[in-house]
Amino acid sequence: MSETASTPKTSGRLGSWRGEFDLLGVISRYGVIITLLGSILTFTVLNDRFIEIDGIRTSLNLASPLLMLALGLTVVLAMGDFDLSITGIQSAAGAMVVIFIVNHDWSWLLAIVVGLLFCLFAGSLNGLLVSYAGMPSFITTLATGLILIGTRYESADGRNITGSQDLPDIYRDFGVGKPDPWLELNTPVWIAAGLAILMWLLMSKTEVGRYMYAIGGNPEAARLSGINVKALRALGFTAVGFMALFAAVTTTARTASSVADSGFSTLLGAYAAAFLGAASSKRTLFNVPGTVLGVIFLQAVDRGLILEGYSTGVRDIAKGCILLLAMAFTRIGASRQ
Amino acid sequence: MTVNVPEATAPLLEVSEVTKRYPGVLAVDDVTLTLAAGQIIGLVGKNGAGKSTLIKIIAGAEHADEGHLWLNGEPLVLHRPHDATVAGLAFVHQDLQDVGDLSVAENVMLGLGYPRKMGLFVDWAELYRMAAEPISRLEADIDPREPVGELSVAKQRLVMIARGLAQRAQLLVLDEPSASLTDEEIDHLFAVVRRLRDDGMAVVYVSHRLEEIFQLTERVIVMRNGQLVADEPTASLNRSSLISHITGHEHAQTAAERRASRGVDGRPDTDAMLEVEGLNADTGVHDCSFDVRKGEILGLGGLMGSGRTEMVRAVFGADHRLEGTVRVHGREIGGNHPSESMSAGLALLPEDRKTQGNIMDFSVRNNITLASLDRHRVRPRVPFPSSRSEKQAADGRIGRLSIATPHDRQLVRLLSGGNQQKVVIAKWLEQGADVLIFDEPTIGVDVDGKEEIYDIMEELAAEGKAVVFISSEFSELVGVCHRVLVLHEGRIVGELEGDAVTEPAIVEICYSQH
Repeated sequence: MSETASTPKTSGRLGSWRGEFDLLGVISRYGVIITLLGSILTFTVLNDRFIEIDGIRTSLNLASPLLMLALGLTVVLAMGDFDLSITGIQSAAGAMVVIFIVNHDWSWLLAIVVGLLFCLFAGSLNGLLVSYAGMPSFITTLATGLILIGTRYESADGRNITGSQDLPDIYRDFGVGKPDPWLELNTPVWIAAGLAILMWLLMSKTEVGRYMYAIGGNPEAARLSGINVKALRALGFTAVGFMALFAAVTTTARTASSVADSGFSTLLGAYAAAFLGAASSKRTLFNVPGTVLGVIFLQAVDRGLILEGYSTGVRDIAKGCILLLAMAFTRIGASRQ
Repeated sequence: MTVNVPEATAPLLEVSEVTKRYPGVLAVDDVTLTLAAGQIIGLVGKNGAGKSTLIKIIAGAEHADEGHLWLNGEPLVLHRPHDATVAGLAFVHQDLQDVGDLSVAENVMLGLGYPRKMGLFVDWAELYRMAAEPISRLEADIDPREPVGELSVAKQRLVMIARGLAQRAQLLVLDEPSASLTDEEIDHLFAVVRRLRDDGMAVVYVSHRLEEIFQLTERVIVMRNGQLVADEPTASLNRSSLISHITGHEHAQTAAERRASRGVDGRPDTDAMLEVEGLNADTGVHDCSFDVRKGEILGLGGLMGSGRTEMVRAVFGADHRLEGTVRVHGREIGGNHPSESMSAGLALLPEDRKTQGNIMDFSVRNNITLASLDRHRVRPRVPFPSSRSEKQAADGRIGRLSIATPHDRQLVRLLSGGNQQKVVIAKWLEQGADVLIFDEPTIGVDVDGKEEIYDIMEELAAEGKAVVFISSEFSELVGVCHRVLVLHEGRIVGELEGDAVTEPAIVEICYSQH
């Protein structure tokens, strides 16, 4: 077959720039990064403690569980699903592990393994209900999340379960741990970084990741291309459970307790991070590096506002505004196309 | 055919020296034309010729880089689609743009302001009455209360036309309105269009089906590479002169001539590659049995809704099978997973490339390798795709199928319809199936593109694969198929082979089933 006249006239490569500097294009493409840099600059000018290295290390440590959760969400979001039960799984698993160690004198390792099995089970259950039984993911996981949070409350009469005396040091090291000698970062940061690399490899480099994005793009076309759509969607929910376990262990280990909390603010933070990440990517796809950026963004803003002495309410308002701003920048580009 | 050419009245819409550039592409190149009231004008051209862009400019959905529009002698400035609506320009797009959950009446009156009671509540009785008026002008049997999503495609298109009437449109643009319509529905559509013409409306009719252009229009405008290359009374053209305007080179062959010149004859005397026995599916497929031999091209003819798509979907395992066996290379395949059929060597190129064929937000490269990703690994046992191997495969397919794309990283969404179809074909060629089922591969594909798709099917057959080809344009089946099965209401009701494969014979079987 020869090249036919149907080929449109092209002046070199498509996407070649039109010469003039396209300010709106740059803002929309890099809106999230511009907002992040702008925020960092502002906080640095306002308070030079903002860029103190020790404070940054602490911030990274505090942000680690959020990143773990957001990584799990990135997988399901990439396939077009929601999982609102992730903090429910985290909360129930955290309580479970602490109770096993504190009240039942289990070894920390056994407690974590059982906790992991529980998380994988809960995630797979979501996967079965959504992917195989065909229930809508948003409301299904909202329901299972409620059940888990309710169970967590009932298991300890709505109280925190503290175990500062009974949790072994080796368990508590998962929450803070001795800083490593090189970068002086705490254990959770390294765990979160390892998980991020793992998930990045999965999503961006493997066949499974490609198939997941194909499902997110068009599940029917993916199915007709021989991709096992049901199994992969279910696997996504299981991955959420997996990530919830890590978040559960690091948070309970840091506070040496399982806090009775609905976990909704954490849930919203994790979603915000994943959406910020998608907004920062060229094709607005959920992706692991973007999610990492989103978590760092949210944590930086939080830290800056804390240093300025703002209360929780004001910080939430500011974070909400910044989220809107970043999204607005991205929409500017989308609506022009 | 007799065409009643009315006196050309004063120009309704004038398009003056309009140019539109996209990055790297001159989509509309200095086009000037006038549209008069009371005329049906055919707009034809290959995919990517600039028809859609020109229509979008008139609809206010795109802005011309240069040039002007005039309506009834007044300058027409369109900032957004609503401006075009207000000016009396109505558009019925190929992809239906109605709101499926809303009622017919709500769709017809959409954007025109619903009638109110006490200034606040929608006056439903009045709304239904207002919507019934344009619908009755179309002589369509449609209940204004029904949700649009539950109507047939033909009726949904009529609802869109009714919306134009409710807007008191002076100009109606129909983009591929006959796609997925039965012959009867097309006849009704034509009657409607002629009546609107007689009422003084200007109708622009965009279609790749040239017979329709000759049947319906009084004037034809041909675009090629963004330019207007012909603007002539339909009566002064014949099929072959129109095709040469469209393609820019002299060639036009009837299906029978093509069949003769290619030496298409009866099926080859080889082993069966695909055998289907007693197939039943709850999608309305009854007792279908047939086989396809190595090197054979089998056509499936039938009217819209005759069950051809449903049958091949059940064969492939895209839909659940109730009964029956499917064997590829003599080996039986289960009916529940496309992946199982694929590993047996069966491929289905689905009817709708947008909703079933491609991942529109994936690049050309990633679409082409999607069904064969495990053969593009960095190492055989490491399930990581190798971008080098993928690029090589994609570039090869892009070259051989002459897919018009600037590079293999281009998003499929940004390609024209015909090229999107070629990407689907490329995916399955890359997957390397032995039996390929093409479901309406030429819908919305221009003349050259169609010919390329026939060539691909013939090459596959010559390589010793088996091809099943579904088309509602029976001339296509005549041009390439060794044998044609005709379906009606989910059953195989006729079989033609060799010299018996002619268009009248297929039509005869289709219509003798009542």
